[in-house]
Amino acid sequence: MLTLNVVALPSILPIFSAQPCNHQFNYLLANTGRRKLKVTRPRANFWDSIRSGFLKDNSTQVVESPSTLQEEEEPQPEEFVLVEKTEEDGVVEQIIFSSGGDVDIYDLQTLCDKVGWPRRPLSKLATALKNSYMVATLHSIQKSPGSEGNEQKKLIGMARATSDHAFNATIWDVLVDPSYQGQGLGKTLVEKLIRALLQRDIGNITLFADSQVVEFYQNLGFEPDPEGIKGMFWYPKY
Amino acid sequence: MAAAAAPMTIKMKACCGYGGIKAMEIRWATRKENSNEVSTKLKQRIPIFISTNPSHINPQELRDLYGSCNHSCHRFPKMDKMGKLVDPVDIKRLTIALSHSDLLVSVFCNKEDVLASDDDDCGNEREPSKGENPPVLGLGDLLQRVVPLPVVSPSTGMLVGFGRAVSDHGLTASIFDVMVIPSLRGMGIGKMIVKRIIRILTGRDIYDIAALCSANERLFFKACGFGDDIMGSTTMMYTRTLSTHIEGDQMVKCAGRKLLIVPPLSLSSQSLKNAKSSSMKQSGGPSVKRVWT
Repeated sequence: MLTLNVVALPSILPIFSAQPCNHQFNYLLANTGRRKLKVTRPRANFWDSIRSGFLKDNSTQVVESPSTLQEEEEPQPEEFVLVEKTEEDGVVEQIIFSSGGDVDIYDLQTLCDKVGWPRRPLSKLATALKNSYMVATLHSIQKSPGSEGNEQKKLIGMARATSDHAFNATIWDVLVDPSYQGQGLGKTLVEKLIRALLQRDIGNITLFADSQVVEFYQNLGFEPDPEGIKGMFWYPKY
Repeated sequence: MAAAAAPMTIKMKACCGYGGIKAMEIRWATRKENSNEVSTKLKQRIPIFISTNPSHINPQELRDLYGSCNHSCHRFPKMDKMGKLVDPVDIKRLTIALSHSDLLVSVFCNKEDVLASDDDDCGNEREPSKGENPPVLGLGDLLQRVVPLPVVSPSTGMLVGFGRAVSDHGLTASIFDVMVIPSLRGMGIGKMIVKRIIRILTGRDIYDIAALCSANERLFFKACGFGDDIMGSTTMMYTRTLSTHIEGDQMVKCAGRKLLIVPPLSLSSQSLKNAKSSSMKQSGGPSVKRVWT
């Protein structure tokens, strides 16, 4: 099963548990920004294991000079309710933003199908998400009224960015479920990514936009071919 | 000399499991026939050492290479009136970028094969490079005079070329900062660097390889087999600055010469309005609670 459970968040685990919830939990998490979450991110990235020190002994420093190379932390995962809607029949729908990267790869494929994207190998997709600098997601959680409200959790949006953690970042795979578009959710996803990148002083933020969404990104502050800078792609010549 | 133990070398072990591709090797770089007079003073064929081993890179030497190539890590760097970069690359951030790049390619050559040519030296009559040899000759130098073997190594040679790639190991990769010192351009070194990067990435099953090019880099990448996106996508960069978008108090971040506006934290009222209008069409209307400010 290719479920990506890269983030273990004990305090809010109930939201993402597979079993239906029988309790009423307080899902309204304050976005403190400085929240210290125990994050286990099983990165298979070779460089990471070297960077963080030796695999067994974390007290040894890899770098000789103590004053230099303050390895900046990974962006702290955030999670909070973006919008909460109560329908007349009492059904409560919450849209939850998360940057923890907890994405069920099959849900993602379903979402990609919904927006009409060509299918990509699942294992490659999973690896790409795992090695992205940041993966932002939007989930919709619908709770029926009553004490045994069955929860419906649905992935409705995602965006991710790759980066060298210092200067360059590229935003890939921005998508929002068509039935949730037009609400500013895509804007939120992208702005969140930009914010996280700029706070780390990563100033070259690039993306490759399809023609239909160029205006969408222009409204978010992106400029096409700024100062003649263009992306080129490699094409094998056989 | 330049490659002596510096306090800020990158301590990383190279992974040599590239499936048969050598992590380092000696190649020949040949200069094409040129009618330019200057070319008679430059060597036609020099041995170079190309490596993908990160430990061969000395960050300070690399920073100097960025300077010699007038190349910045920022896409919109501060420049003086002559088009020369004002600030040197921040070495701490460069080291972070290197440690998070999945591929680093470095090219070395013997110091005597490099003509120390800066832009302002053009047109000066120069002695052949041999005459500028340092007085101390190492064993490698002696060997080279007796037996013309292509002896080049990262420890004795000079860093003259570089390139790096960042990837998500699954779907995409981006190539950054490909550079060769001016006096050794036109010899195929840059192409060698890009070809090496592509070979390794495709060996890892990554075929979606992008390179962000300024106008004068486009020809080079075209010659390396790059082209415009066949899907017709538009390259866009975040450039919202104070001058383009004035809106009260703004947090800004410096990126080269641009002061980029950091998107504010609060939800815009626009998105809330849309949320209300697109909600269910029931008589009472649903309640929308804004919970995030």
